[in-house]
Amino acid sequence: MAAAAPVSEYQLKAVFLFNFAQFVEWPASAFPQTSAPFVIGVLGKDPFGADLDDVVRGEAVNGHPLAVQRYQNVGEVRDCQILFIPAAEFGHVGELLARLKGRSVLTVTDADEGPQRGVMIGLITQDRQIRLRIDVEAAKVASLTISSKLLRPAEIVGTARS
Amino acid sequence: MSAHERPIRHMLITVILLTCGAVMVITSAAFFAYEFVSFRQLTARNLETLGKAIAANSTAALAFENADDAREVLSAVRAQPHIIAARLYLSDGRLIASYPDGDAGKAPSQAVLDDGYRFTAELLTGVQPVVQGRRRMGTLYLESDLGEVYEHLKLMSLTGAMVMLFCCVAAYLISVRLQRSISGPILALASTAKTVSEHRDYSVRASRPEGQEFGLLTDAFNHMLTRIEGDQTKLRSQLARLDLLHRITRATGERVDLPSVFRVVVRCLEQDLPIDFACMCGYESGAEALSIAVIGAQSAPLATELALSEQSKVPIDQNGLARCVAGELVYEPDTRVIPFPFPERFAKAGLYSLVVAPLLVENRVFGVLVSARRAADAFNSADCEFLRHLSEHIALASHQAQLYGALQRAYEDLRQSQQAVMQQERLRALGQMASGIAHDINNAISPVALYTESLLEREPDLSERARGYLVTIQRAIEDVAETVSRMREFYRPREPELVLSTVACNKMVEQVVSLTRARWSDLPQQRGIVIQLRTELSPDLPEIMGSEVEIRDALTNLVFNAVDAMPEGGTLTLRTKFVTAGSHAALDAARYVHVEVQDSGIGMDEETRRRCLEPFYTTKGERGTGLGLAMVYGMVQRHSAELEIDSARGAGTTVRLIFSVTEAVAAPSGGVPRLHGPVQRLRILLVDDDPLLIKSLRDILEQDGHVVTAADGGQKGIDTFTAALASRNPFSLVITDLGMPYVDGRKVAASIKTASPNTPVILLTGWGKRLLAENDVPAHVDRVLSKPPRLIEVREALGELTAGPDSQATLAESA
Repeated sequence: MAAAAPVSEYQLKAVFLFNFAQFVEWPASAFPQTSAPFVIGVLGKDPFGADLDDVVRGEAVNGHPLAVQRYQNVGEVRDCQILFIPAAEFGHVGELLARLKGRSVLTVTDADEGPQRGVMIGLITQDRQIRLRIDVEAAKVASLTISSKLLRPAEIVGTARS
Repeated sequence: MSAHERPIRHMLITVILLTCGAVMVITSAAFFAYEFVSFRQLTARNLETLGKAIAANSTAALAFENADDAREVLSAVRAQPHIIAARLYLSDGRLIASYPDGDAGKAPSQAVLDDGYRFTAELLTGVQPVVQGRRRMGTLYLESDLGEVYEHLKLMSLTGAMVMLFCCVAAYLISVRLQRSISGPILALASTAKTVSEHRDYSVRASRPEGQEFGLLTDAFNHMLTRIEGDQTKLRSQLARLDLLHRITRATGERVDLPSVFRVVVRCLEQDLPIDFACMCGYESGAEALSIAVIGAQSAPLATELALSEQSKVPIDQNGLARCVAGELVYEPDTRVIPFPFPERFAKAGLYSLVVAPLLVENRVFGVLVSARRAADAFNSADCEFLRHLSEHIALASHQAQLYGALQRAYEDLRQSQQAVMQQERLRALGQMASGIAHDINNAISPVALYTESLLEREPDLSERARGYLVTIQRAIEDVAETVSRMREFYRPREPELVLSTVACNKMVEQVVSLTRARWSDLPQQRGIVIQLRTELSPDLPEIMGSEVEIRDALTNLVFNAVDAMPEGGTLTLRTKFVTAGSHAALDAARYVHVEVQDSGIGMDEETRRRCLEPFYTTKGERGTGLGLAMVYGMVQRHSAELEIDSARGAGTTVRLIFSVTEAVAAPSGGVPRLHGPVQRLRILLVDDDPLLIKSLRDILEQDGHVVTAADGGQKGIDTFTAALASRNPFSLVITDLGMPYVDGRKVAASIKTASPNTPVILLTGWGKRLLAENDVPAHVDRVLSKPPRLIEVREALGELTAGPDSQATLAESA
């Protein structure tokens, strides 16, 4: 289906990030308090502009209000539930993943070159459409449960393969 | 199967089939409705399930706008052939996938449809929201046709029709079997009822079928038949009794004497009730025994065993008979246990049951009906009731027989007295008429009497023969005068003026024979008929007291009758007898003289014999007056005599006059006239309207030397008398007739006495005797003389009345 509407790429990706919150379950330990916000973090330079804020404004997931935090570098990454790694920051992914090890953070990148190197979801642009590529094992390690519904339209990859 | 059996069998089958059919139709309809609704709901629910499944599977495709995935998810509906369209819309309304492929072009905007599943005319449409968590990702649109529902219904209808057909066939087969158990007994009952009603045979019974109700019905029916049969039998026997009662009543009604009533009752009872012994007894109130009146013919042998016979007496014992004569019907069911003589007799004769019924009239028992049978307890209540009714009828019939007898006697008495009254009445009428006739006859014969007497007295030169003729004429005239004077009297009992004298009957019979010779000898001989006359006269006949003239007249009449009764000739006998009734020795023995006139003529039948004494009754047609025998009868009555008539048709007639003989009273023998010398000459006025009488009386009186002036009519007489008185030449005596037109003798006498009280008046009348007899001599009349006047009487009267002026005043009373 063609994206006939004048929707920008990152507008769409912002919606996708928000939609991931619908299809993935986080363990309770992922939140410091029960009333803690559901944080979508963006590492490095923010490609979304205000689009992501527009999408999450006023929304909530399982009683947690949605919030967007931007991290300039890996060291700034703190408690968040989804961390978007733009393609430009993909070079720091090793360091980042090491730092996030043992924490339940869903990692998403739109770097569609090569293997994902342990990032859980990749947004792949093909034929002017955005496809999903999901590393189920990485998510499992991070105690995240990805809905099978999300797996249907996605391409499944394994860490071992990478 | 006969015609009237068909409907009930068919009805039963029809009822069963219709019931089954109706039940199945209703059930099927309900089932169909339920099935239709529930199947639609099921279809909708199935579609909803499918929609939910598809929606659940399409969330990610919609979330991440993956059209391929969405299309793939939609393709799952291919398994459902009735789904004709399916579409997925994004949350912003864009269509992302549709089924079947190529349908996208005609996909409608989702905005017109709300969420939910609904039926339209041809379709079932569903709008299913696609939700992930709480977030709506988009919308699924599904469209299904209703072919499945219709197919399902069609299948159901087919199945239903098959089931119904099967059920109907089954129901028919079952009903054919089952109806026999219902219609069978009913038809059997119906055919029994038909037999009963067609043949009137109440002895048939319906056979008892199985099943409680039918058993009960049949039992009830049979019970009813038994009752009807019983009633029928009872009715028949009642009818038979009624018929018997009717016959007996009718038979008794035809009889009017008690024995024959009793006999017919007993015979009917023996033959038709029937009973072994029947008898009827009479009972006098207060008597101590019954008398057996009638014993039935069949009961006779038993009666000898019972020691009963007709006219024998049965003492009334304390038991049944006493109660019965008190008016009670007594029934002894077993005579062997009753310790009384009457029942014991019956027990001994082998008659063990006994009914004694009283015959009651006006609360009085006058008889008893005894009926018995050999068997004990053989009379039921109907028998007793019958005997009670019968005894009432017999009593009534007997009573009527008695009443009838009494009525007959009363009627006979009444008839006799009526006849007597009628006879009296006729005689009285005749008497009145006769006195009128007598008056005229007296007038007519007066000149004959006067001249005859005058001739006999004054003509001594007459030959013997002429003198004899004159004497006979005189006697005949006297008889005529007597007869006419008696004509009005003959019906009366003896009257004062009947002058009795001794009558020698033998002599009188001879006189009658000679007086009537012309009738019995001369006249018949002219016609060549011979009548023998015999006289049988008793030589030592005593004289009787009576009127010779009357008796002679009566005998003459009887002789005339006898001659008339012998138109072909015969024997006429006149007989006298002296009869003594009772002992001759007794002084007061009744003695009678019989005078009989017997002929050998045609005789009289009973009717004639009964009526012959009535005045004006005659068998002689124009020739007879019907007075002859009536006058004889009047004479007989006046003489206190009796009249007997022996007669039968063809056997002649004997008429017997019976006079009782009483001691003869020395009667002055009349008939010796005192001869008067010529009296002094008188100037006499004679008033009469009859010129012949005037002439004869004037002749006679003038011969005696009187001067006679005649006046024809009362007024003329008065005028003549007053004229003579005025001219100083008065009449010394007046003789006037009584009956004259305009001015009668009474007025003449009154006028004369007014003008000259001392002038004697003699009234001359044809009614003279009656005036004298009734002491009705008019005032102003000194003497009454009857016509025809006898010369002697006239002279006597003239002599007495003119003897002296003194005697004149008293003469009227002494008359």
